[in-house]
Amino acid sequence: MAAVRADDLDQLVPLFERYHGPLFNYLTRLTNDRETSEDLTQTVFERILKYRSSYQPTQPFKAWVYQMARNVHADYWQRKEKLRAADVDEVERTGGLRGAAFSQMRVSSHHDDLHEALALLPPAQREILVLNRFQGFGYEEIGKLLGCTAEAARVKAHRALQALRKIYFAGG
Amino acid sequence: MKTPELSACHEMEALLPAYVERSLPAAEAERVAAHLTTCPTCQLQVTQLRALGDDLDAALPEVPRTALRANFMAMLEQQKALLPTAPPLAAPAPPAARVVSMWPTALANNWLRVAASLVLIAAGILLGRQLPWGTRGSDGLAAGKPAPAALADALVGDNGQPVSASDRIRLVANSTKEKEPGDATVQVLLNTLNFDASPNVRLAACEALYRLRDDPRVREGLVQSLSIQTDPNVQIALIDMVVSLRVRRAVPQLQRLAKRPDALPVVRTQAEAGIGKLI
Repeated sequence: MAAVRADDLDQLVPLFERYHGPLFNYLTRLTNDRETSEDLTQTVFERILKYRSSYQPTQPFKAWVYQMARNVHADYWQRKEKLRAADVDEVERTGGLRGAAFSQMRVSSHHDDLHEALALLPPAQREILVLNRFQGFGYEEIGKLLGCTAEAARVKAHRALQALRKIYFAGG
Repeated sequence: MKTPELSACHEMEALLPAYVERSLPAAEAERVAAHLTTCPTCQLQVTQLRALGDDLDAALPEVPRTALRANFMAMLEQQKALLPTAPPLAAPAPPAARVVSMWPTALANNWLRVAASLVLIAAGILLGRQLPWGTRGSDGLAAGKPAPAALADALVGDNGQPVSASDRIRLVANSTKEKEPGDATVQVLLNTLNFDASPNVRLAACEALYRLRDDPRVREGLVQSLSIQTDPNVQIALIDMVVSLRVRRAVPQLQRLAKRPDALPVVRTQAEAGIGKLI
Protein backbone atom coordinates (compact mmCIF):
# COMPACT_ATOMS: atom_id res chain seq x y z
CA MET A 1 0.00 0.00 0.00
CA ALA A 2 2.95 2.28 0.62
CA ALA A 3 3.79 1.96 -3.10
CA VAL A 4 0.20 2.80 -4.08
CA ARG A 5 0.44 5.83 -1.86
CA ALA A 6 3.48 6.89 -3.87
CA ASP A 7 1.35 6.80 -7.04
CA ASP A 8 2.47 3.35 -8.20
CA LEU A 9 -1.14 2.38 -8.77
CA ASP A 10 -0.36 -1.05 -10.25
CA GLN A 11 0.57 -2.18 -6.77
CA LEU A 12 -3.11 -2.01 -5.90
CA VAL A 13 -3.75 -5.10 -8.08
CA PRO A 14 -2.34 -7.64 -5.59
CA LEU A 15 -4.26 -5.93 -2.79
CA PHE A 16 -7.40 -6.14 -4.88
CA GLU A 17 -6.78 -9.84 -5.51
CA ARG A 18 -6.35 -10.49 -1.83
CA TYR A 19 -9.18 -8.42 -0.41
CA HIS A 20 -11.94 -8.05 -2.97
CA GLY A 21 -13.41 -11.50 -2.23
CA PRO A 22 -13.57 -11.05 1.56
CA LEU A 23 -14.83 -7.46 1.20
CA PHE A 24 -17.53 -8.51 -1.23
CA ASN A 25 -18.52 -11.29 1.15
CA TYR A 26 -18.62 -8.86 4.09
CA LEU A 27 -20.74 -6.33 2.21
CA THR A 28 -23.08 -9.00 0.84
CA ARG A 29 -23.73 -10.28 4.36
CA LEU A 30 -24.54 -6.73 5.46
CA THR A 31 -26.71 -5.70 2.53
CA ASN A 32 -28.15 -9.06 1.43
CA ASP A 33 -27.80 -7.81 -2.10
CA ARG A 34 -25.07 -9.11 -4.39
CA GLU A 35 -25.43 -6.46 -7.03
CA THR A 36 -25.26 -3.61 -4.53
CA SER A 37 -22.29 -5.29 -2.87
CA GLU A 38 -20.38 -5.41 -6.13
CA ASP A 39 -20.95 -1.69 -6.52
CA LEU A 40 -19.94 -1.04 -2.92
CA THR A 41 -16.80 -3.18 -3.25
CA GLN A 42 -15.84 -1.16 -6.30
CA THR A 43 -16.50 2.04 -4.35
CA VAL A 44 -14.18 0.84 -1.58
CA PHE A 45 -11.32 0.48 -4.06
CA GLU A 46 -12.16 3.83 -5.63
CA ARG A 47 -11.89 5.42 -2.22
CA ILE A 48 -8.64 3.62 -1.48
CA LEU A 49 -7.22 5.32 -4.56
CA LYS A 50 -8.80 8.64 -3.80
CA TYR A 51 -7.63 8.75 -0.20
CA ARG A 52 -4.36 6.87 -0.66
CA SER A 53 -2.38 9.82 0.68
CA SER A 54 -4.17 9.50 4.03
CA TYR A 55 -2.92 5.94 4.53
CA GLN A 56 -0.43 5.70 7.38
CA PRO A 57 2.22 3.09 6.57
CA THR A 58 2.35 2.09 10.24
CA GLN A 59 -1.30 1.12 10.12
CA PRO A 60 -2.30 -2.44 9.15
CA PHE A 61 -3.83 -2.31 5.66
CA LYS A 62 -6.57 -4.74 6.64
CA ALA A 63 -7.88 -2.48 9.42
CA TRP A 64 -7.75 0.55 7.12
CA VAL A 65 -9.58 -1.13 4.27
CA TYR A 66 -12.31 -2.54 6.49
CA GLN A 67 -12.82 0.88 8.05
CA MET A 68 -13.24 2.16 4.53
CA ALA A 69 -15.74 -0.61 3.74
CA ARG A 70 -17.73 0.20 6.89
CA ASN A 71 -17.94 3.85 5.86
CA VAL A 72 -19.00 2.94 2.33
CA HIS A 73 -21.71 0.71 3.75
CA ALA A 74 -22.84 3.39 6.24
CA ASP A 75 -23.15 5.93 3.41
CA TYR A 76 -25.17 3.47 1.39
CA TRP A 77 -27.41 2.81 4.39
CA GLN A 78 -27.98 6.53 4.95
CA ARG A 79 -28.88 7.10 1.32
CA LYS A 80 -31.38 4.28 1.54
CA GLU A 81 -32.83 5.67 4.76
CA LYS A 82 -33.30 9.08 3.14
CA LEU A 83 -35.23 7.49 0.31
CA ARG A 84 -37.29 5.63 2.84
CA ALA A 85 -37.96 8.73 4.93
CA ALA A 86 -39.21 10.48 1.83
CA ASP A 87 -41.69 7.69 1.42
CA VAL A 88 -42.92 7.47 4.97
CA ASP A 89 -46.55 6.93 4.06
CA GLU A 90 -45.84 3.55 2.64
CA VAL A 91 -43.45 2.22 5.20
CA GLU A 92 -44.11 2.34 8.87
CA ARG A 93 -41.09 3.78 10.58
CA THR A 94 -40.57 0.99 13.05
CA GLY A 95 -41.58 -1.93 10.91
CA GLY A 96 -39.73 -0.61 7.89
CA LEU A 97 -36.35 -2.13 8.58
CA ARG A 98 -37.61 -5.64 9.04
CA GLY A 99 -39.88 -5.39 6.06
CA ALA A 100 -36.95 -4.18 4.04
CA ALA A 101 -34.86 -7.08 5.24
CA PHE A 102 -37.43 -9.48 3.85
CA SER A 103 -38.03 -7.70 0.59
CA GLN A 104 -34.34 -7.34 -0.10
CA MET A 105 -33.57 -10.98 0.39
CA ARG A 106 -31.77 -11.48 -2.83
CA VAL A 107 -28.84 -13.61 -1.79
CA SER A 108 -29.90 -15.97 -4.49
CA SER A 109 -27.21 -18.64 -4.46
CA HIS A 110 -27.35 -19.47 -0.75
CA HIS A 111 -30.85 -18.48 0.07
CA ASP A 112 -31.11 -20.56 3.18
CA ASP A 113 -32.34 -20.38 6.74
CA LEU A 114 -29.07 -19.21 8.21
CA HIS A 115 -28.86 -16.17 5.99
CA GLU A 116 -32.51 -15.36 6.50
CA ALA A 117 -31.91 -15.44 10.23
CA LEU A 118 -28.81 -13.26 9.88
CA ALA A 119 -30.77 -10.78 7.82
CA LEU A 120 -33.28 -10.43 10.63
CA LEU A 121 -30.65 -9.41 13.18
CA PRO A 122 -30.22 -5.70 13.90
CA PRO A 123 -27.43 -4.41 11.62
CA ALA A 124 -24.91 -3.86 14.42
CA GLN A 125 -25.29 -7.42 15.69
CA ARG A 126 -25.18 -8.81 12.18
CA GLU A 127 -21.99 -6.94 11.44
CA ILE A 128 -20.18 -8.18 14.51
CA LEU A 129 -21.08 -11.79 13.72
CA VAL A 130 -20.07 -11.41 10.10
CA LEU A 131 -16.70 -9.99 11.13
CA ASN A 132 -16.17 -12.68 13.73
CA ARG A 133 -17.51 -15.75 11.96
CA PHE A 134 -17.07 -15.02 8.24
CA GLN A 135 -14.15 -12.61 8.06
CA GLY A 136 -12.00 -14.27 10.70
CA PHE A 137 -11.62 -11.17 12.86
CA GLY A 138 -10.53 -11.73 16.46
CA TYR A 139 -12.17 -9.76 19.27
CA GLU A 140 -9.12 -7.52 19.48
CA GLU A 141 -9.46 -6.53 15.80
CA ILE A 142 -13.22 -6.08 16.09
CA GLY A 143 -12.70 -3.83 19.12
CA LYS A 144 -10.29 -1.64 17.16
CA LEU A 145 -12.64 -1.43 14.19
CA LEU A 146 -15.72 -0.62 16.26
CA GLY A 147 -13.94 1.60 18.75
CA CYS A 148 -14.41 -0.52 21.86
CA THR A 149 -12.34 -2.89 23.99
CA ALA A 150 -11.73 -6.49 22.99
CA GLU A 151 -13.75 -7.61 26.00
CA ALA A 152 -16.70 -5.44 24.99
CA ALA A 153 -16.45 -6.85 21.46
CA ARG A 154 -16.54 -10.36 22.89
CA VAL A 155 -19.64 -9.64 24.97
CA LYS A 156 -21.38 -8.04 22.00
CA ALA A 157 -20.49 -10.98 19.76
CA HIS A 158 -21.88 -13.44 22.31
CA ARG A 159 -25.10 -11.45 22.64
CA ALA A 160 -25.42 -11.36 18.88
CA LEU A 161 -24.87 -15.12 18.71
CA GLN A 162 -27.63 -15.71 21.27
CA ALA A 163 -29.95 -13.38 19.35
CA LEU A 164 -29.20 -15.28 16.14
CA ARG A 165 -29.79 -18.59 17.87
CA LYS A 166 -33.25 -17.46 18.99
CA ILE A 167 -34.21 -16.42 15.46
CA TYR A 168 -32.62 -19.46 13.83
CA PHE A 169 -34.38 -21.97 16.07
CA ALA A 170 -37.60 -20.01 16.52
CA GLY A 171 -39.58 -22.25 14.19
CA GLY A 172 -38.41 -25.56 15.55
CA MET B 1 -41.47 -13.02 40.25
CA LYS B 2 -38.27 -14.88 39.45
CA THR B 3 -37.41 -18.25 40.84
CA PRO B 4 -33.73 -18.89 41.62
CA GLU B 5 -33.51 -21.33 38.67
CA LEU B 6 -34.78 -18.78 36.22
CA SER B 7 -32.33 -16.12 37.31
CA ALA B 8 -29.55 -18.72 37.16
CA CYS B 9 -30.62 -19.55 33.60
CA HIS B 10 -30.68 -15.86 32.77
CA GLU B 11 -27.09 -15.54 33.93
CA MET B 12 -26.18 -18.66 31.98
CA GLU B 13 -27.46 -17.16 28.76
CA ALA B 14 -24.60 -14.68 28.79
CA LEU B 15 -22.04 -17.38 29.61
CA LEU B 16 -23.10 -20.18 27.30
CA PRO B 17 -21.57 -18.81 24.07
CA ALA B 18 -18.22 -18.53 25.83
CA TYR B 19 -18.75 -22.00 27.34
CA VAL B 20 -19.39 -23.44 23.89
CA GLU B 21 -16.32 -21.78 22.42
CA ARG B 22 -14.32 -22.94 25.48
CA SER B 23 -13.11 -19.50 26.42
CA LEU B 24 -14.43 -19.47 29.99
CA PRO B 25 -12.03 -19.62 32.94
CA ALA B 26 -11.93 -23.13 34.44
CA ALA B 27 -13.88 -22.25 37.57
CA GLU B 28 -16.73 -20.67 35.66
CA ALA B 29 -16.79 -23.48 33.13
CA GLU B 30 -17.24 -25.95 35.99
CA ARG B 31 -20.08 -23.88 37.40
CA VAL B 32 -21.81 -23.85 34.01
CA ALA B 33 -21.26 -27.59 33.56
CA ALA B 34 -22.80 -28.23 36.99
CA HIS B 35 -25.84 -26.16 36.10
CA LEU B 36 -26.23 -27.94 32.78
CA THR B 37 -26.59 -31.34 34.42
CA THR B 38 -29.74 -30.12 36.14
CA CYS B 39 -31.25 -27.82 33.50
CA PRO B 40 -32.63 -29.22 30.23
CA THR B 41 -33.45 -25.71 28.96
CA CYS B 42 -29.83 -24.62 29.11
CA GLN B 43 -28.73 -27.98 27.71
CA LEU B 44 -30.92 -27.32 24.71
CA GLN B 45 -29.31 -23.89 24.35
CA VAL B 46 -25.86 -25.47 24.29
CA THR B 47 -26.96 -27.96 21.65
CA GLN B 48 -28.42 -25.16 19.55
CA LEU B 49 -25.34 -22.96 19.91
CA ARG B 50 -23.13 -25.82 18.77
CA ALA B 51 -25.35 -26.53 15.78
CA LEU B 52 -25.45 -22.84 14.92
CA GLY B 53 -21.65 -22.63 15.19
CA ASP B 54 -21.30 -25.60 12.85
CA ASP B 55 -23.70 -24.05 10.35
CA LEU B 56 -21.86 -20.73 10.48
CA ASP B 57 -18.56 -22.50 9.90
CA ALA B 58 -20.03 -24.43 6.99
CA ALA B 59 -21.54 -21.39 5.27
CA LEU B 60 -19.95 -20.85 1.90
CA PRO B 61 -18.53 -17.41 1.12
CA GLU B 62 -20.34 -15.28 -1.42
CA VAL B 63 -18.21 -15.03 -4.55
CA PRO B 64 -18.35 -11.94 -6.76
CA ARG B 65 -18.80 -12.15 -10.53
CA THR B 66 -15.73 -11.65 -12.68
CA ALA B 67 -17.26 -8.34 -13.81
CA LEU B 68 -16.06 -6.91 -10.50
CA ARG B 69 -12.45 -7.53 -11.48
CA ALA B 70 -12.98 -6.11 -14.96
CA ASN B 71 -14.59 -2.98 -13.50
CA PHE B 72 -11.76 -2.58 -11.04
CA MET B 73 -9.14 -2.92 -13.78
CA ALA B 74 -10.96 -0.37 -15.90
CA MET B 75 -11.16 2.03 -12.96
CA LEU B 76 -7.47 1.54 -12.24
CA GLU B 77 -6.50 2.28 -15.83
CA GLN B 78 -8.64 5.42 -15.72
CA GLN B 79 -7.00 6.58 -12.52
CA LYS B 80 -3.55 5.88 -13.92
CA ALA B 81 -4.35 8.03 -16.90
CA LEU B 82 -5.31 10.84 -14.54
CA LEU B 83 -1.97 10.86 -12.72
CA PRO B 84 -0.46 14.33 -13.16
CA THR B 85 3.07 13.45 -14.25
CA ALA B 86 2.33 9.99 -15.55
CA PRO B 87 5.60 8.19 -14.81
CA PRO B 88 4.84 4.81 -16.32
CA LEU B 89 8.04 3.03 -15.43
CA ALA B 90 9.59 5.61 -13.15
CA ALA B 91 8.97 4.19 -9.73
CA PRO B 92 8.03 0.54 -9.73
CA ALA B 93 8.97 -1.09 -6.45
CA PRO B 94 12.06 -3.26 -6.92
CA PRO B 95 11.00 -6.88 -7.24
CA ALA B 96 11.88 -9.05 -4.27
CA ALA B 97 13.58 -11.65 -6.45
CA ARG B 98 15.23 -10.78 -9.72
CA VAL B 99 15.18 -13.29 -12.52
CA VAL B 100 17.94 -12.86 -15.04
CA SER B 101 17.01 -13.64 -18.59
CA MET B 102 19.03 -16.33 -20.33
CA TRP B 103 19.35 -14.23 -23.45
CA PRO B 104 19.50 -10.52 -24.14
CA THR B 105 16.09 -8.91 -24.15
CA ALA B 106 16.38 -7.36 -27.57
CA LEU B 107 17.40 -10.68 -29.10
CA ALA B 108 14.55 -12.49 -27.47
CA ASN B 109 12.12 -9.81 -28.48
CA ASN B 110 12.88 -9.70 -32.14
CA TRP B 111 15.43 -12.09 -33.60
CA LEU B 112 14.53 -15.02 -31.48
CA ARG B 113 10.88 -14.58 -32.23
CA VAL B 114 11.54 -14.45 -35.93
CA ALA B 115 14.00 -17.33 -35.78
CA ALA B 116 11.61 -19.46 -33.78
CA SER B 117 8.87 -18.77 -36.25
CA LEU B 118 11.12 -19.73 -39.17
CA VAL B 119 12.26 -22.91 -37.48
CA LEU B 120 8.70 -23.88 -36.74
CA ILE B 121 7.56 -23.18 -40.28
CA ALA B 122 10.51 -25.06 -41.73
CA ALA B 123 9.91 -27.99 -39.40
CA GLY B 124 6.28 -28.05 -40.38
CA ILE B 125 7.07 -28.05 -44.08
CA LEU B 126 9.78 -30.69 -43.71
CA LEU B 127 7.55 -32.94 -41.73
CA GLY B 128 4.77 -32.42 -44.18
CA ARG B 129 7.01 -33.45 -47.05
CA GLN B 130 9.11 -36.21 -45.56
CA LEU B 131 6.69 -38.25 -43.56
CA PRO B 132 4.81 -40.79 -45.64
CA TRP B 133 1.08 -40.92 -45.46
CA GLY B 134 -1.49 -43.04 -47.16
CA THR B 135 -3.92 -41.82 -49.72
CA ARG B 136 -6.50 -39.70 -48.05
CA GLY B 137 -10.20 -39.72 -48.57
CA SER B 138 -11.52 -37.25 -51.04
CA ASP B 139 -12.54 -34.75 -48.35
CA GLY B 140 -9.19 -34.90 -46.61
CA LEU B 141 -10.92 -35.01 -43.21
CA ALA B 142 -12.36 -38.48 -43.16
CA ALA B 143 -9.01 -40.19 -42.78
CA GLY B 144 -9.95 -41.43 -39.31
CA LYS B 145 -6.78 -41.02 -37.32
CA PRO B 146 -4.49 -38.83 -39.42
CA ALA B 147 -0.76 -39.20 -39.05
CA PRO B 148 1.02 -36.00 -38.05
CA ALA B 149 1.90 -35.07 -41.58
CA ALA B 150 -1.58 -35.86 -42.75
CA LEU B 151 -2.83 -33.77 -39.88
CA ALA B 152 -0.71 -30.84 -40.98
CA ASP B 153 -1.95 -31.29 -44.50
CA ALA B 154 -5.55 -31.71 -43.48
CA LEU B 155 -5.38 -28.55 -41.41
CA VAL B 156 -4.45 -26.60 -44.50
CA GLY B 157 -6.86 -28.42 -46.76
CA ASP B 158 -6.52 -29.78 -50.27
CA ASN B 159 -5.01 -27.47 -52.82
CA GLY B 160 -4.69 -24.71 -50.27
CA GLN B 161 -8.47 -24.65 -49.78
CA PRO B 162 -9.01 -23.50 -46.21
CA VAL B 163 -10.65 -26.00 -43.88
CA SER B 164 -13.28 -24.47 -41.58
CA ALA B 165 -12.23 -23.52 -38.06
CA SER B 166 -14.56 -26.05 -36.46
CA ASP B 167 -13.09 -28.83 -38.61
CA ARG B 168 -9.61 -27.71 -37.65
CA ILE B 169 -10.59 -27.79 -33.97
CA ARG B 170 -11.91 -31.33 -34.39
CA LEU B 171 -8.75 -32.44 -36.16
CA VAL B 172 -6.54 -30.90 -33.53
CA ALA B 173 -8.59 -32.29 -30.65
CA ASN B 174 -8.45 -35.80 -32.11
CA SER B 175 -4.77 -35.60 -32.88
CA THR B 176 -3.56 -36.62 -29.43
CA LYS B 177 -5.54 -39.82 -29.28
CA GLU B 178 -3.48 -42.99 -29.58
CA LYS B 179 -0.27 -41.09 -30.10
CA GLU B 180 3.02 -41.80 -28.44
CA PRO B 181 4.89 -38.83 -27.08
CA GLY B 182 7.82 -37.91 -29.27
CA ASP B 183 6.17 -38.28 -32.62
CA ALA B 184 5.70 -35.40 -34.98
CA THR B 185 2.21 -34.50 -33.73
CA VAL B 186 3.75 -32.17 -31.15
CA GLN B 187 5.45 -30.15 -33.83
CA VAL B 188 2.35 -29.87 -35.94
CA LEU B 189 0.32 -28.81 -32.93
CA LEU B 190 2.92 -26.20 -32.05
CA ASN B 191 2.70 -24.83 -35.57
CA THR B 192 -1.06 -24.71 -35.25
CA LEU B 193 -0.77 -23.00 -31.87
CA ASN B 194 1.48 -20.33 -33.29
CA PHE B 195 0.13 -19.75 -36.76
CA ASP B 196 -3.51 -20.76 -37.05
CA ALA B 197 -5.68 -17.77 -37.85
CA SER B 198 -8.47 -18.71 -35.42
CA PRO B 199 -7.94 -18.20 -31.68
CA ASN B 200 -10.31 -21.08 -31.00
CA VAL B 201 -8.19 -23.47 -33.05
CA ARG B 202 -5.12 -22.17 -31.24
CA LEU B 203 -6.87 -22.84 -27.93
CA ALA B 204 -7.71 -26.39 -29.05
CA ALA B 205 -4.04 -26.84 -29.95
CA CYS B 206 -3.16 -25.62 -26.46
CA GLU B 207 -5.35 -28.25 -24.88
CA ALA B 208 -4.08 -30.97 -27.17
CA LEU B 209 -0.49 -30.03 -26.31
CA TYR B 210 -1.32 -30.19 -22.63
CA ARG B 211 -2.30 -33.83 -23.10
CA LEU B 212 1.14 -34.42 -24.68
CA ARG B 213 2.91 -32.56 -21.87
CA ASP B 214 5.35 -35.41 -21.22
CA ASP B 215 7.12 -34.52 -24.44
CA PRO B 216 9.92 -32.08 -23.63
CA ARG B 217 9.23 -30.05 -26.78
CA VAL B 218 5.82 -29.11 -25.42
CA ARG B 219 7.21 -26.99 -22.59
CA GLU B 220 9.71 -25.27 -24.82
CA GLY B 221 7.05 -24.62 -27.43
CA LEU B 222 4.63 -23.16 -24.92
CA VAL B 223 7.28 -20.80 -23.60
CA GLN B 224 8.11 -19.60 -27.10
CA SER B 225 4.47 -19.19 -27.96
CA LEU B 226 3.93 -16.82 -25.01
CA SER B 227 5.71 -14.07 -26.91
CA ILE B 228 3.88 -14.78 -30.16
CA GLN B 229 0.25 -14.88 -29.04
CA THR B 230 -1.84 -11.74 -29.04
CA ASP B 231 -5.29 -13.14 -28.29
CA PRO B 232 -6.05 -12.69 -24.56
CA ASN B 233 -7.78 -16.07 -24.21
CA VAL B 234 -4.82 -17.90 -25.70
CA GLN B 235 -2.43 -15.81 -23.62
CA ILE B 236 -4.24 -16.70 -20.41
CA ALA B 237 -4.47 -20.38 -21.36
CA LEU B 238 -0.73 -20.43 -22.02
CA ILE B 239 0.04 -18.70 -18.73
CA ASP B 240 -2.11 -21.21 -16.87
CA MET B 241 -0.35 -24.07 -18.62
CA VAL B 242 3.22 -22.97 -17.98
CA VAL B 243 2.28 -22.35 -14.36
CA SER B 244 0.60 -25.72 -13.89
CA LEU B 245 3.51 -27.47 -15.64
CA ARG B 246 5.85 -25.39 -13.48
CA VAL B 247 8.00 -24.27 -16.43
CA ARG B 248 10.39 -21.94 -14.64
CA ARG B 249 12.09 -20.77 -17.81
CA ALA B 250 8.81 -19.16 -18.83
CA VAL B 251 9.44 -16.44 -16.25
CA PRO B 252 11.28 -14.02 -18.57
CA GLN B 253 8.50 -14.36 -21.15
CA LEU B 254 5.89 -13.79 -18.46
CA GLN B 255 7.74 -10.71 -17.29
CA ARG B 256 7.74 -9.33 -20.78
CA LEU B 257 4.06 -10.17 -21.19
CA ALA B 258 3.28 -8.44 -17.90
CA LYS B 259 4.83 -5.27 -19.28
CA ARG B 260 3.44 -5.42 -22.80
CA PRO B 261 1.41 -2.29 -23.37
CA ASP B 262 -0.82 -4.01 -25.92
CA ALA B 263 -1.80 -6.83 -23.54
CA LEU B 264 -5.10 -6.53 -21.66
CA PRO B 265 -4.76 -5.62 -17.98
CA VAL B 266 -6.28 -8.94 -17.00
CA VAL B 267 -3.59 -10.75 -19.02
CA ARG B 268 -0.84 -8.68 -17.43
CA THR B 269 -2.26 -9.43 -13.99
CA GLN B 270 -2.41 -13.12 -14.78
CA ALA B 271 1.19 -13.03 -15.97
CA GLU B 272 2.25 -11.28 -12.74
CA ALA B 273 0.41 -13.87 -10.70
CA GLY B 274 2.07 -16.63 -12.74
CA ILE B 275 5.52 -15.19 -12.07
CA GLY B 276 4.67 -15.14 -8.37
CA LYS B 277 3.85 -18.84 -8.48
CA LEU B 278 6.90 -19.87 -10.50
CA ILE B 279 9.68 -18.07 -8.62
